Amino acid sequence: MIVCLAVVGHQNNPLYIQSFTDADDALKLHHIVHCSLDVIDERVNNPKKSSPTINEAFLGLLYPTENYKAYGYLTNTKVKFILVTTDLDVRDADVRSFFRRFHTAYVDAVSNPFHIPGKKITSKTFAERVSTIVKSFGLSSAS
Amino acid sequence: MASFLPQFQSIKSSFDHVVLSVEDVSDLWPTVKKGFEERVPFKKAFLNNKTRNPVLVDELPAEFILTTDARLRSRFPQEQSLFWFREPYATIVLVTCEDLDEFKNILKPRLKLIVQNDEREWFIVFISKAPAHNDQATKMAKKVYAKLEVDFSSKKRERCCKLDMYGPDANFWEDLEAKIMECIRNTLDRRVQFYEEEIRKLSEQRFMPVWNFCNFFILKESLAFMFEIAHLHEDALREYDELELCYLETVNMAGKQRDFGGVEKGDDQATLLDPGKKALAQIVHDDSFREFEFRQYLFACQAKLLFKLNRPFEVASRGYSFIISFSGALALHQSMLPFCMREVWVITACLALIDATASHYEEGLAAPDVEKEFYRVQGELYTLCRTKFMRLGYLVGYGSDIERSPVNSASLSMLPWPKPAVWPSLPSNASSEVLAKEKMILQESPRLKHFGIQRKPLPLEPSVLLREANRRRASLSAGTMSELLDARPNYGDGSGHSSAVPKVNNVSMSRTFSSPGNFDGSIDRPMRLAEIFVAAEHALRDTISDAVLWRCLSSVEEFEQKYLDLSKGAANNYHRSWWKRHGVVLDGEIAAVYHKHENYDFAANLYEKVCALYAGEGWENLLAEVLPNLAECQKILNDQAGYLSSCVRLLSLDKGLFLPKERQAFQSEVVRLAHSEMEHPVPLDVSSLITFSSNQGPPLELCDGDPGTLTVALWSGFPEDITLESLSVMLTATNSTDEGAKAIKTSEAIVLRPGRNNITVSLPPQKPGSYVLGVLTGQIGQLRFRSHSFSKGGPADTDDFMSFEKPTRPILKVAMPRSLVDLAAAVSSALLMNEPQWVGIIVKPIKYSLKGAVLHIDTGPGLRIEERHEIEIEKHELRENNKDDLDNPPDNLSAVSAEVKQLTLEDGKIKLPDWTSNITSVLWIPLKAISHGLAKGTPAGTVPQRQSVVDGLRTIALRLDFGVSHNQTFEKTVAVHFTDPFHVSIHVADKCSDGTLLLQVILQSQVKASLAISDAWLDLQDGFAHTGKGDGRPVSRFFPLIVSSKSRAGILFSICAVDTPAKDEAKELDPVSILNIRYTVSGDRNVGAHSPVTEELTGPDNDKTELLTFKSALVLQRPVLDPCFAVGFLPLPSSGLRVGQLVTMNWRVERLKDLDENVAPDDIDEVLYEVNANSENWMVAGRKRGYASLSTKQGSRIVISILCLPLVAGYVRPPQLGLPNVDKANISCNPPGPHLVCVLPPPLSSSYCVPAA
Repeated sequence: MIVCLAVVGHQNNPLYIQSFTDADDALKLHHIVHCSLDVIDERVNNPKKSSPTINEAFLGLLYPTENYKAYGYLTNTKVKFILVTTDLDVRDADVRSFFRRFHTAYVDAVSNPFHIPGKKITSKTFAERVSTIVKSFGLSSAS
Repeated sequence: MASFLPQFQSIKSSFDHVVLSVEDVSDLWPTVKKGFEERVPFKKAFLNNKTRNPVLVDELPAEFILTTDARLRSRFPQEQSLFWFREPYATIVLVTCEDLDEFKNILKPRLKLIVQNDEREWFIVFISKAPAHNDQATKMAKKVYAKLEVDFSSKKRERCCKLDMYGPDANFWEDLEAKIMECIRNTLDRRVQFYEEEIRKLSEQRFMPVWNFCNFFILKESLAFMFEIAHLHEDALREYDELELCYLETVNMAGKQRDFGGVEKGDDQATLLDPGKKALAQIVHDDSFREFEFRQYLFACQAKLLFKLNRPFEVASRGYSFIISFSGALALHQSMLPFCMREVWVITACLALIDATASHYEEGLAAPDVEKEFYRVQGELYTLCRTKFMRLGYLVGYGSDIERSPVNSASLSMLPWPKPAVWPSLPSNASSEVLAKEKMILQESPRLKHFGIQRKPLPLEPSVLLREANRRRASLSAGTMSELLDARPNYGDGSGHSSAVPKVNNVSMSRTFSSPGNFDGSIDRPMRLAEIFVAAEHALRDTISDAVLWRCLSSVEEFEQKYLDLSKGAANNYHRSWWKRHGVVLDGEIAAVYHKHENYDFAANLYEKVCALYAGEGWENLLAEVLPNLAECQKILNDQAGYLSSCVRLLSLDKGLFLPKERQAFQSEVVRLAHSEMEHPVPLDVSSLITFSSNQGPPLELCDGDPGTLTVALWSGFPEDITLESLSVMLTATNSTDEGAKAIKTSEAIVLRPGRNNITVSLPPQKPGSYVLGVLTGQIGQLRFRSHSFSKGGPADTDDFMSFEKPTRPILKVAMPRSLVDLAAAVSSALLMNEPQWVGIIVKPIKYSLKGAVLHIDTGPGLRIEERHEIEIEKHELRENNKDDLDNPPDNLSAVSAEVKQLTLEDGKIKLPDWTSNITSVLWIPLKAISHGLAKGTPAGTVPQRQSVVDGLRTIALRLDFGVSHNQTFEKTVAVHFTDPFHVSIHVADKCSDGTLLLQVILQSQVKASLAISDAWLDLQDGFAHTGKGDGRPVSRFFPLIVSSKSRAGILFSICAVDTPAKDEAKELDPVSILNIRYTVSGDRNVGAHSPVTEELTGPDNDKTELLTFKSALVLQRPVLDPCFAVGFLPLPSSGLRVGQLVTMNWRVERLKDLDENVAPDDIDEVLYEVNANSENWMVAGRKRGYASLSTKQGSRIVISILCLPLVAGYVRPPQLGLPNVDKANISCNPPGPHLVCVLPPPLSSSYCVPAA
């Protein structure tokens, strides 16, 4: 299950962060997303390690902890997408295609002329679309 | 083969170097032993690795063992092949011989026997005992050695070397080492080949039923061990890696139920760094090993090799992933393991790994990025350990001491509870402990956050522990008992050890079975939380064998200390790695502990770091969690500045993050502190809270020197009204950088409402330029706040944490100095002299309001304000058709006069009415120019003298004080031209024979107005009289004579000369005639002359405008009636005059009459002449004045010639000849009046001309 999805700006500022848990614990997900920026920074600043994948937006698994996984995605404009899932058995290909769909949704959202680049995304349409994508991700991975 | 395991183990533990056997044929070993053993360990040995590539081994330890030694003799052949690695790697045969025969007969056969075994690598050391001085013996030894070489060395391989005991042994030791190395290398190669072959064979059978992992393991590890003793650690490591892979493959093979292990006492302590902790023989399970121990063993072997390779960072990173994967394996088996075995194992493993790697690691050992990675892994290990430790702490009831922070929640709430088969139940004798825990739980009071902030605490538990624990127990009572009972024998069968049954289970089982009466009661009733804690504590006490770890869980204080240590360890390591955020976040956890223990100083420092991290990247939700804590510490530490800024930051966070009540609390703190007795005013940056912008619309535009009022919009982020004692707006000029910003201060206190406020600031005069808003400063009580934040017309945007945008739009523009008003005379043409006239002053504001303006009027000499009249003001209208309307001016006047307003002059000042402030207006001032002289008529034909224009000029000095605060002044002197209505010239039109002269008076109108002459008469001077009986007036029906502007009129007077009265009366009579004209003027005052200002009182009654009188003086000359002399100007040469050419002027003087008798006889025959010439035009050569002889007879004549040089070209007056001694009345001139001659310009010089070709 995807528990959290975040868009982080190129200055590491949160642009959109949505948790999909029932409990009132969004803050811990904020923490996870924030800390996973460390990993993204490390990967981006030390391209040596990730040289084969540097040209790819999908950063792969950031956080191999016991209980949850964080995946990252870096757009050309240095905007990061971070996905936190409690599904420990996720295929990279699924996450990759998920991010691609999310990226499209994001591009549509920021192309809105009323959106100010670098500001939080407040579009309801975007939120709805994201929740649809998230739901469909759960289905595809379950099947 | 598994039976060899103990032996293998013991060999491994006692054996760690290469063995070289010494075959001491001639009892020489004791003599050379010392020399030989000094050579070990061998330095810089080249060995071949598994892929047959040479590898340099820095140090190779070895031992020389005599073949007779028991260690080598008592070995079984099977052992030899299995543990081949411990067999000698070379055989050194020590011989000596001094006699050839002896060599041939005894030694040689014996040696042949020794070396015939091809398996071994051997060589012979010949030791010569011959003393150096004994040539004979030396020679013999050489001979024997030569023989030896012939017999045993081959072309392919040198197998002999010689040691002179008493001679120089220059190359022997090197030779020896080389030979030993060669042997070791060869042996090693051969053995590696052997092992590989064996392993390959076994590997092929891997999927067959006969496959036995133990055998494979022994072979594989033997090979690895051999590499290890040869110091080929890389190869050894590779073997272990392969072994691990192979093992995992077999262990994960489905279908085989295996015993996992880990249920023995002490198993909770990780042995991942100690390969010898548990004998391998103990963990053999069927044909393989128990996973729990064996995987740790393999890792320990790898770690040992990595440490030897000086790669502790690799140990750490491999260790971390090992722990993670092993923890997963433990999770799979946790129902069989003791309660919380997994957590305890992870804790001990992490701590062991941290200690070992940290002690092996030296700063700078690896490349910087490897080092960073190492510290990161250390941090990760600490974090992992910390998480598990918190979990244990929670289970024993220290949950309330764990900060419910995001980081702890993230790591704990997603970590599932341990899943033992049965949750531990309460021991029977623990009621007192339960009571104590109950008390502890009851005493717990949630720590109140500062400012009364109430937050739902973040979860530390994946689900409610009470339910989870009871559910696990309930499953027992709900009938799944049988499953458990079924499962239980399985463990026993699997291992055959009774200890395999988890102890925890034993406890609960024994209780349930031993007291069946209690069974239902204790199971049915759900456990209370305190009971769960106590039960867990008891269970853990059984699980944890490490006393140190147990002590850490034994009391809250110990728990907190360990928690702090782990947090610090993690934070410190993260700080040295790339993962700064992790480090700082953990600093926050440390701070929380300090905070709780009232160590506010440390806590504040750490909190500040955390806040800076969150604030720097705009993670406001997280910041809102920490910032109140920081504020509290600062408050307790009495750090007013810090506390204030924290409060301000809290206020400036997103409004949704706090309740209105909380935000009000923040504000009240700020206000309280601001008005408290602070020693010094505290500066405070409120950029995020109070933002400002100019109002929408164009900037305020001011003229140079004008004050103004500036409106600034302020956005207050305070939740309630706040009073600012003062407020200053800084204006920064955009065009000049050198000039500092100017602060504009408001005069009184301002109350800011939440949201938008419009503040007006009065602005003193500014220098020209455009200004933008700079900084906002002000004071709240003792607080000196400043705000740099310029908002773009909205409330402070909380996302704007990175960019304080500079306002680019100017708020104020002060124009360069320019003329703001213009004053000009309204008339373009002359006004009437000596008559009260309206002088119009056009007051023209140039895009500037003249509200309240005052005009000072100062008339110059010869001009007087008619104070009896009011001053008029009217709107100025530019008339396109001014000139056309001249004929009917009254219409115009009436049209405009509707708007005329009357004003009064006070002290030479006039206050302009407000309605004129923005329009061009005309101020009509009644003025009278005074000229005392009479106008003079001129003879017709002469050029009117210009002098009169200057005479008519009068000036009015005007000064206009205006502007918002009368700060602007405009001064101008206006010239107004006054003139007489007519220019009079006279002309004698005809001279009648009877002496009557027709005098034509020509009146040239000088004003732009039509003049109506109603009467004119001439007062003649003496010597003239009007002819006829009239008084000299023209016939009255001629009048009124209208003279329109710039036109001429003529009046003829008929006069005659009369005899003058006797000279002796000598009464000075009028020398001039006076022309009197009565006229009216009708003109537009906008254009020029107009009828004079009349007093209003007389106006209505006299429908006829009053007649004006104009007098002009005329000089009449009597005609020459009695000529005595005639002076004639003789014609000039026909060639004309030219500049620079001399010309002779000739005058003929003729006496017309005989001289009177009464003239003095001296000069009767002479006449005085004088030539008058304008020296600018003429140069006169010769005498200008002199006497010329002229006879007294009538008709006598002379010609006076004067040489003249014309200087100027043009029509000039020629020199004139005068006769000073003769009355003018007696001289008849020809030509009679002044005349002009033409002077040509000088001829062109042709000297430079080139003739045309």
